[in-house]
Amino acid sequence: MSRFFRAGNDDSSSESSSDEEELYSGEEGQEVDQEQSEEESDEFDQSDEESEEADDKDAGDQKQGAFRFLRDNVESDSEGEDEVRDKVKSAQDKRLDELETSIKQIENGLKNGDWTLISNEFDKLNRQVTKLPAGSKIPKPYIKVIAEVEEAVNEALAKAKVTPKKMNAIQAKALNAVKQKVKKTNKDYQAQITVYREDKDTYLWSSDEEEEEVPAPKAPKAVKFEDFAAAEEVADEGFATVGKGGRTLQYTPESIFKHLRGILETRGKKNTDRIDQIKVMEKLNEIANTPYQQIRVLLTLVSARFDLGSGTTNVMPLEHWKAAEKELSQLLTILANNNEYVVLENVEEWDDDEKPPTLQPGEKHIKVAGSIVSYVERLDDELHRSLQSIDPHTSEYIERLQDEGALYNVIFRGLLYYEALQKDETIEVPQDSVNRIIMRRLEHVYFKPAQVVKTFEENCWKAVGENVDSTTTPRAQAQEPAELVNVLCAYLYTHSEGILRARALLSQVYFLALHDDYYKARDMMLMSHLQETVTGFDIQSQILYNRTLVQVGLCAFRKGLIYDAQNTLQEICGSGRQKELLAQGVMMQRYSQVSPEQERLEKQRQLPFHMHINLELLECVYLTCSMLLEIPLLAQTGSSPDVRKRVISKTYRRMLEYHERQIFTGPPENTRDHVMQASKALAAGEWKKSISFIHSIKIWDLMPNSEEIKEMLSKQIQEEGLRTYLFTYAPFYDTLAVETLSDMFELDATKVAAIISKMISHEELAASLDQVTSNVIFRKGVELSRLQSLALALSDKASALIETNERTLEQRTQGTSNAFERQGGRGRGGHRGGARGGRGGPRGGGGNTQRQAGGTQFTGGALGAAVRG
Amino acid sequence: MEDILKALPADGASVMANVAPHLSRHLLFPLIQFEGDQAEEKGDSELAKKILSGKIKLLEDTNMTDYVATLYQDLHGVSEPPAEYTKKRQDVLTQLDKYEKETEQIANLLTQDEVVNGLRSDKVANLEFLKNQHGVTLEMVNALYDFGQFQFRCGQYGPAADMLYQFRVLSTDNDKVAAATWGKLASEILSTNWESAVDELKNVREGIDTRLFNNPRAQLDHRTMLIHWSLFPLFNFEGAREPILDMFFSASYINTIQTSCPWILRYLIAAVITGRTRARNSSVQQKQLKDIVRYVRQEAYEYADPITQFVNALYIAHDFDAAREALRLSEEVCRSDFFLAASTDAFVNAARHLICESYCKIFSRMNIRDLSAKLGLNPDDGEKWIVNLIRETRLDAKIDSQDGTVIMNHPPNNVYQQVIEKTKGGFFRTQVLNAAVSK
Repeated sequence: MSRFFRAGNDDSSSESSSDEEELYSGEEGQEVDQEQSEEESDEFDQSDEESEEADDKDAGDQKQGAFRFLRDNVESDSEGEDEVRDKVKSAQDKRLDELETSIKQIENGLKNGDWTLISNEFDKLNRQVTKLPAGSKIPKPYIKVIAEVEEAVNEALAKAKVTPKKMNAIQAKALNAVKQKVKKTNKDYQAQITVYREDKDTYLWSSDEEEEEVPAPKAPKAVKFEDFAAAEEVADEGFATVGKGGRTLQYTPESIFKHLRGILETRGKKNTDRIDQIKVMEKLNEIANTPYQQIRVLLTLVSARFDLGSGTTNVMPLEHWKAAEKELSQLLTILANNNEYVVLENVEEWDDDEKPPTLQPGEKHIKVAGSIVSYVERLDDELHRSLQSIDPHTSEYIERLQDEGALYNVIFRGLLYYEALQKDETIEVPQDSVNRIIMRRLEHVYFKPAQVVKTFEENCWKAVGENVDSTTTPRAQAQEPAELVNVLCAYLYTHSEGILRARALLSQVYFLALHDDYYKARDMMLMSHLQETVTGFDIQSQILYNRTLVQVGLCAFRKGLIYDAQNTLQEICGSGRQKELLAQGVMMQRYSQVSPEQERLEKQRQLPFHMHINLELLECVYLTCSMLLEIPLLAQTGSSPDVRKRVISKTYRRMLEYHERQIFTGPPENTRDHVMQASKALAAGEWKKSISFIHSIKIWDLMPNSEEIKEMLSKQIQEEGLRTYLFTYAPFYDTLAVETLSDMFELDATKVAAIISKMISHEELAASLDQVTSNVIFRKGVELSRLQSLALALSDKASALIETNERTLEQRTQGTSNAFERQGGRGRGGHRGGARGGRGGPRGGGGNTQRQAGGTQFTGGALGAAVRG
Repeated sequence: MEDILKALPADGASVMANVAPHLSRHLLFPLIQFEGDQAEEKGDSELAKKILSGKIKLLEDTNMTDYVATLYQDLHGVSEPPAEYTKKRQDVLTQLDKYEKETEQIANLLTQDEVVNGLRSDKVANLEFLKNQHGVTLEMVNALYDFGQFQFRCGQYGPAADMLYQFRVLSTDNDKVAAATWGKLASEILSTNWESAVDELKNVREGIDTRLFNNPRAQLDHRTMLIHWSLFPLFNFEGAREPILDMFFSASYINTIQTSCPWILRYLIAAVITGRTRARNSSVQQKQLKDIVRYVRQEAYEYADPITQFVNALYIAHDFDAAREALRLSEEVCRSDFFLAASTDAFVNAARHLICESYCKIFSRMNIRDLSAKLGLNPDDGEKWIVNLIRETRLDAKIDSQDGTVIMNHPPNNVYQQVIEKTKGGFFRTQVLNAAVSK
């Protein structure tokens, strides 16, 4: 089934992310899918590798799927006895055969007194028995054998007491081991063993008959259903029903606790049938009539359901998730209606099954052990996991996604419940629980557009009814999504600490950035100083940080702040590992082996599809920004090869070079091609062509107000085109009329003059303006000879050397040495200012596109300024 | 306090409403007084009256009963102040007596030479010494503090400063010492004792850095206050200019300005631009100007007034017409601003210099008529002004009076000169480095 499907899935993750926004905007962007083919050729071998690995894994999967059959085969082959019959036998029969072989071996061993053999075979036998389908009957021969073994052990022990030293050490050891094992296992089957002992001869006979009753492995299940149907029928007459093993099960309100205890005791054991237990509990839930009973049953039931999805790979079945959600909200309703019962974490268990706890005088509450917040979190996690495993392009995904609304309601009601607890001073509610549940709520809100949040809120307020209000998020404030996020985060800022607080902050920044509140988002991001500590966070939080960073960058782009956008996105997009950094797809490591454990963790971290940031849009924005900054820079430095080359985006440069190396360039097919050809046109001064290339990128349509963004881009391209033109062609002109330029670039004459003035004043252009004739006069003789530029480079290097020395010494002395405290800077490097540190991060940058090397921003202070002077 | 702020004209150009919450009552008073004078000058008696009543409200809580009573008489045109004022006056006087008695002994002691000579830098030892030798108790020291505060509320700033100084020498209670330092700063400012005000400023600043080290929020609040208070010496005392500007440009203070009070940028700009000619060394000034431009650009989204607009137009947009317009507006703003009023002319003059400077940098030939217009002068004045400018700054420029143009001669930047510039400091820096290593 899965090979092609899976490979296809991996490949399409970039394309799949482009659909992300549709989920909310509801627009169908099918044409976007075509863009997907833009994977570069070097990525093809990657995906080849990918599919190869997928093959391997699939084989593994199949092995697992067919595991039990195959293993059985192998084992019975080695026995070499049943080779012929094997092919026609069902799995059940084969297992029984095997069982019989083991039993025979044990019997042989008993005869010879070979305890080592018995010990081994006994182990095998037990393993086989546990592997039997949980519902089926325990094979009678098995009972017989274990009873015999027990007797033999007892005999042997008695003998050993009388005549010591008869057995050798190995045998004695094996005997002891068997004794222990027998003791352990026989306890479970005590009833059957006594039956056997009573009637040794006929026991096996009856077993045969029963096996014929159960010919196919499916049958027991059917029988069970009938059991329950029967149970329901007789429910009125005292709930008498016949359970497995011929015991009579009585479901009465009184016996609820006994059943629960039984179920709790088997929890986590290997051979328990969880589904069966859940059914029992569902039954119990129906008959429970006091709130206490209901609470207890629901608590156990919900956790039993969660046990179904335990383990790292399998996902909780859908119907159980839905049932758990229902039961959890039922539980919350019960708790809301019965104020005297509270469910708390740190309460002792009530051990007495016979009588329910009563209200002690002087106490207001009956406390039940349990943790609502853990259940809510678990429910959330399960949905998350199930979304991870569903193919996002199916309608199944959308359907599953609709459950988020119900989940949100549960989270909200859980919050209400904790608020109610907090109001009561007699109960100690750990602050941590409230924080956790608020964080969950926030996590469902922060990445969504305002109107979606609004619908969510309206639904859940409707669900809880008119006269309920929340203290942390009052009804009035919760109506406005921005206000809601603000309130939730403010609560977490004051009441939580450490990582939770950081996550709250990141969520708020994300929300602000998503809603175009760039400056506030940026200031919060910078003032938090998170960039300094984020490396110490857990991976999930680092991913959130990356997502937030990207969102802030996109927001800057929408605002037309190209420089800031590029600067912010650089870290993520320049790395070429966007998928991995944003947890939106697994990157294949080409040179290092990834252990399956790592891969599994990676898979676990993946975000469900509806939370994705569109990677293609991201790349498009990043490349466009890089183009607007790089092309004029290339033109500026292009004419003089010795000027130290400043590179803004390595990724972009590499792509540009690759593009230029191509002998034949066809019409652009994907985003990258579009941007590259636009860059080429821009570099050649053909700004109109560049604009048309950029405008024909389809993915802009995914942005809100795409028209405005296109307009903004046109304007930027015009201006940068003018700058590029001036840089490129300045050496060939003496004078240039401002008017000509303004005609050429269809810009206002004053705008042209302003741009030129800016360039002159930043000493990017050796020219001056003539006000009378309104010309640009290019100065001659500024081109340097080779010797001159080399001399300049040498002097630069010399001063860089001194600077490095000084910095090294500064580090060595930990900045305590005042050796460098001198009067002020030297004028020349003033704009690099050292007074920049505290507020952190790159703030807007200087007027010129001056860039500071990464680490120097944080040295700050007078010392830093003096040294860098 | 809100009433009086509401009474003020809310034309957006005034930052009074922003500044006021960060000043103490007493410090706010001169500002209000200034507004009142302006209103009177304009002949707006309605407004003047409102401000007067606001003044009374402002000072009612203080102990300056006599002054309030006179104000009240002025406002209502009565010759006798109402009884409550006389009663309050009595209260204040009895209080004064009480405090005087309490502090009499210690005050006497501190005037005696032998006692003062016995004091060391160790506060605990001092207190021990006074206790053993002269029977001074901790209560007496604290009484000094209370009395100082009382004096301050009475408007007796000089004595208040003395009291607080004495208290600070003796007390070991860190919180109260910090409060006393703030009090002394206010007293020095109000008694226009600028030099000691600057010293106190330093003390307060150190206190904020060390004492509130673990509380960033309180640090921010205190710094904001300190920034506002230091505006008084900044614009009134030449010697205060440099240390205060240094303080403003230090990382933590510029961050404070950007975070909590961007309106201070206007004063910062004014101080830097006005100080152009006075600055001891022009490279510092250049650097400050460049920093200012950056901050203005960064804060443009949340704060703008004519003065920041001027910087924005001149250095960021390079739009000289807009710069001229902004300069005209800033002149008005400056004249109506308490702090800037005195230096308005200097500011405008310096701003013209800046316009001219960047104009000359960009243009090689310009029309005198246009240039004069950009500077906001008529052609004749403009020509005179330009001639003066050329003479003063030794610009390489000539005036062609036939065409009515100024011709700039931009000498190309000599490569060899550049190399020399770049390597100039090398020897010295290496020497310093060498010295530091061998230390």
